Amino acid sequence: MSRVSMRTIDILSALCLIPVCLYVFYESGRWPMLPDLGNPAWIPRGVAVLLFGAALLLLGKALTGRSLTLPGRLVGADRARVLWVAALTGVYVVIIERLGFMTATAPYLFGFCLALGERRWTRLILFSVVVPVATYVVFDRALNVPLPRGLFR
Amino acid sequence: MVDPSLLLHGFGTVLSGYNLVALVLGSFFGIIIGAIPGLTATMGIAILVPFTFGMTPITGIVMLLGIYTGAIYGGGIASILIKTPGTPAAAATVFDGYPMAQAGLAGKAIGIATISSGIGGTFTALGLAFFAPILANFALRFSAPEYFALAVFGLAVTITLSGRSPVKGVISGLLGLLLAMIGLDPMGGFQRFTFGFAELTGGLSFVPMLIGLFALSEGFRQVEIILTAPRVSATLKNILPTLKDLKECLPAYLRACPIGLIVGITPAIGADTAAFLSYAETKRASKKPESFGKGNPAGVAAAQCGENASTGGDVLPMITLGIPGDAATAVLMGALTIHNLQPGPMLFQAHPEVVHQIFAGMISANVVFVILGLIFARFFAQVINLDRKYLVPLIFITCMVGSYAINNVLYDLATCAIFGFLGYLMIRYDYPVAPMVLAQILGSMMESNYRRAVVMFHGDVTLFFTRPIALTILALAAFTTFVAVRRQRQALKQEAAQLAALEESSSQ
Repeated sequence: MSRVSMRTIDILSALCLIPVCLYVFYESGRWPMLPDLGNPAWIPRGVAVLLFGAALLLLGKALTGRSLTLPGRLVGADRARVLWVAALTGVYVVIIERLGFMTATAPYLFGFCLALGERRWTRLILFSVVVPVATYVVFDRALNVPLPRGLFR
Repeated sequence: MVDPSLLLHGFGTVLSGYNLVALVLGSFFGIIIGAIPGLTATMGIAILVPFTFGMTPITGIVMLLGIYTGAIYGGGIASILIKTPGTPAAAATVFDGYPMAQAGLAGKAIGIATISSGIGGTFTALGLAFFAPILANFALRFSAPEYFALAVFGLAVTITLSGRSPVKGVISGLLGLLLAMIGLDPMGGFQRFTFGFAELTGGLSFVPMLIGLFALSEGFRQVEIILTAPRVSATLKNILPTLKDLKECLPAYLRACPIGLIVGITPAIGADTAAFLSYAETKRASKKPESFGKGNPAGVAAAQCGENASTGGDVLPMITLGIPGDAATAVLMGALTIHNLQPGPMLFQAHPEVVHQIFAGMISANVVFVILGLIFARFFAQVINLDRKYLVPLIFITCMVGSYAINNVLYDLATCAIFGFLGYLMIRYDYPVAPMVLAQILGSMMESNYRRAVVMFHGDVTLFFTRPIALTILALAAFTTFVAVRRQRQALKQEAAQLAALEESSSQ
C-alpha cells in the first residue's frame, strides 16, 4: 500500500493552533497582577509564543511538501467502524446518568459488538447482559463504588 | 542508604494478606495485558488505577507495580508466538524469539524470556533500593530554582525524544503545558481558561484524562485494526530452561542489566530502547554474532532482560524527584498522589516505611511474575487468541466505569471519552501522547516553582544561572535537546531515503 502525506492534516492542525495561541496570549494579559507574586502571564505567554512558532513551522513544512507520511488512509469499513464506535460512546456518556448503568451499558455493548462484526446473536445478547451485571456487582457491591442508578433510583 | 530493617519489614508487609493477593492479581492481569498486542503496560495501569481506590495505599501500589512489571514481561509472549510484540518494548524479542518458535522451541523461548525478565527486573529493583535514598538525600538540597530546572529538563527530554517528528512532539508537549494551566492560578487563586465551567475550576480531571489518552485511545486503535490480529497456533513444551541454557545467556544478563538501569533512569527513554540497546550490545560482543536473528536464545535473553531492567530506572526519578521516567510511571505517579503519597524527597522523610514497602513490592513483583509466567505459560499463550470483538468493548467499559468511579460525576466520564478520541487522533496522525501527559505533570511543577523562585529572590530571574545545580541541569537540558533533535533529523533523513529507494524499486 503506498503511503499518503499528512499535508492536509498538518495544515488544518496548524490553522487550529494559531488562534489558540493568540487567545492564550491575549487572555493571560488580562489576569490580575498581584503585588509580590510576580507576573502570572509570563509562562502562559511564553508557551503561547513557542506554540505559535511550532505551528508556523508545521505549516511551513506542510506547504513546502515536507510533511511526514502515513501507511494509508482510514477509509471504508475501518473508518465507519471507528466513527460508529465514537458516536456510540458519545451517546453512552450522555445517557448513562439518565438511564442508569445497566440499562445504558447493555445496548451500548450490543451496538459496539455489532459494529465490530459480531453476528452470533446468542453470544452477543449474553455478553451484553452479563457484562453490565458483573461490572455492577464488582463495582457497586464488592468495591463499594456506586454506579448511576438512573431509572432505578 | 536503604535501611535493611525497614526493607525487611517492607517485605513482611508486602508478602502478607491482601497485599500478596493484590500483588499476584496485579502480576497476573499485567501479563495478560502485556501478552495481547495493542494493549500496553501504561494502558493496564491506567485502566486499573480506579480499582485501587478502595484499597489501602500500599495494597493499591503493589497491585499497580505487579501490573507494570508483568505487562513489560508479558509483551515478549506475543513476540515469540505470533511475531507481533505484545508491547512496544518487546519488539526486540521478535528477532530471535519467533525463529525459535518456528523451530519448535516456543516453550524454551518463553521460559528463557520469563527468567531473563525476572533477572533484569530484580537487578533494577535492587538498584532502585540502593540509589533512591542517595538521590532523595541529595534532592533535599533542592529549592524552587532547582525544581524548576528539573522540570525544564524533564520537559525538554520528553518532548524531543518522543515520536517521529520533533515539531509534533513539541506541539504535544506545549499543549500539555496549556492544559496544565486550566483551573485556579497556583499563587493568585483566580480562574484561568475555565470558560465559566465550575467543573474546570479544579483543573482537568487527571486520572480520567490519563485513562482516556493511554487506554481508550488504544481501544479506538484496536477498533480500527480489529480484523487483522493474528492467532497463536504453537504448542508449548519444555518451558523450564536448563541451567546450561541460562549459563549460555549469562553474558547477555551482564550487559543488559546495567544498560536497562541506565536507560530507564533517563527521562522519556523507555523499555523499548533498553531492549534494543541490550540486544545490539550482546550481539556485538558475541563470538557468533551471525547466529543472532536466527533463533539464538541469548538474543531473547538480552531483549527481555534489558526491557525489564529499565523498570526500576524508570521508577527512580519518579519516586525521588517527582519526575516521571515515562508514561507508565506518570500514571503510577498519579496513582500515588491519589493515595495521598506525593513522590519526591519529602516522601523519604515523611513516610520511609512506605518507600521501603515500594522497594520490597518492586522486588517481589519481579519474582511473582516469573513464577506465574512459568506455571501459566500455556494459559497466557491462549489469551492472545481472545476474541477482540468482546475484548475491545470490555476495555471501553472498564475505562469509562473506572473514570466515573473516581468522583461519581459525569464530567470525569466525558473527560475520559473526549481525551480517548483525541488521543486516538493524535496516535493516528503522529502526535506523541506521552509528552502531553508528562508536560501536564511537569508543567505544574515548572510554573509553581518558577513563580515561587521569583518571589523568594525578589524578582531576580538571573538566579537560575547563578545557582550551580540549577545551571547544570538547565545546561544538560539544552545539550540533550540539541543532541536529540539532531539525531531525529538524521533518522528522518534515513527514513525518507529508504522510502524513496523502496518506491523506486517497486516502480521498476
